[in-house]
Amino acid sequence: MTADRHSASSVASGWRTILPVALLVAVAAVQVALVNTAGLSPWKGGGFGMFSTTDDAGRRRSRVFVSAAERSEEVAISPSLEDAARRAAVLPTDLALTRLARRVVERETRYHRPVDTVRIETWRIEYAPDTLAATAHRMRNFVYRVDATAPPRP
Amino acid sequence: MWTRLLRPAPDGDGVPDSVLTLTAIILLLRPLDVWWLAPVVLAAACLSLAVRSLRRRPITWLVVAALVAVRIVVVWPLSDNHVYLLGYWCLAIGLALSSPAPAATLSTSSRWLLGAAFAMAVLWKAVLSPDYVDGRFFRVTLLTDDRFADASLLFGGLSREQMADNRQFLEPLPAGAELLTPPAFVEPPRLRAFAAIATWAGLALEALIALLCLIPAQGRLLVARHVSLLAFCATTYALAPVAGFGWLLAVMGLAQCRVSQRAMRAAYLAVFVLILLYAEIPWTGVLADLTGR
Repeated sequence: MTADRHSASSVASGWRTILPVALLVAVAAVQVALVNTAGLSPWKGGGFGMFSTTDDAGRRRSRVFVSAAERSEEVAISPSLEDAARRAAVLPTDLALTRLARRVVERETRYHRPVDTVRIETWRIEYAPDTLAATAHRMRNFVYRVDATAPPRP
Repeated sequence: MWTRLLRPAPDGDGVPDSVLTLTAIILLLRPLDVWWLAPVVLAAACLSLAVRSLRRRPITWLVVAALVAVRIVVVWPLSDNHVYLLGYWCLAIGLALSSPAPAATLSTSSRWLLGAAFAMAVLWKAVLSPDYVDGRFFRVTLLTDDRFADASLLFGGLSREQMADNRQFLEPLPAGAELLTPPAFVEPPRLRAFAAIATWAGLALEALIALLCLIPAQGRLLVARHVSLLAFCATTYALAPVAGFGWLLAVMGLAQCRVSQRAMRAAYLAVFVLILLYAEIPWTGVLADLTGR
């Protein structure tokens, strides 16, 4: 009876000790996959890759370009767009880039500025192994058309 | 099962109250920065500090863990890694307090969490990041990250002018572009040595902690586990600007101490306070100013 109770108690404690670390390992495995497949910064995502690489959030940025009938220009990242731009730079998936593009369209519309297409580039900085010469590398070039049914502009 | 989550864990279970209070203090020192989550977590932390039965109730910590998880989802993917660790830790506390052997459960959870977190950190540094083992990460970070600037002036032997020139040099150019007269880049041997020590000492210590946490340890190995974790906290967070991570590691180490290990428990408390002092006193800046850097 005592042995059974002890054994049952060990099993009960067992899953309680395994669950937190199992979550950690599962999240970390997803993080490694996202870094390799979706361009997630190794510093983020719960994989404990901080302080391991220069590819951190501070060395990534998004550039936004809008175009319409009589305009084609780069727009500054306003405070209202900063959060979405940071998320898109850290994990430049289609979903994050679409969210940012929609925010840009909303903002442009609010200011009565025409916009047909939003193009978003995400960039990161790389350093040469010996000289540390820095170069900016484009990670994504994403195009969002405001009217998906409209034919592409030349 | 459900009533067990609502009942405070009995006093005689051996889970040190200091582990629970220090975890609540961490929640107060580094609040979650989502306006509709922060007040709830702060209130839970305050109440659990003030009311003993509340902090020993599993449900308190399970709710906090759930709120931390919500925060991670809401700000995805921007949360830092110590926020994830905080969530796992609160979950571990909640589950341990509801278990038949709370102290042993929490101690084992702490060991596994530390082992897994450090193993992942080592994997990233040693295998997955090409710019860590060749020294690039710290060579660049010591020059470009403001939070390390004073340490670079102090230990690296740089002047402020050289630092400014180096930062200009490290500004990126478009691929294939080249400046006609590039800015000077000065990297004194002391700075290279500082970067190399940070790179290899950090990696070695993290690997040692991962190993000592993941293998079953007794006697001297057990002491070595605590000493290596204490050494990591006492040295890394003197420079690394992530006190929240350091406090968590100290509390997780404390949770592995037996009641009889008074010196070890005192050492973890001292390290917790030391990290607080590191975070609040800009000691490298003061020394850099005093030495005319």
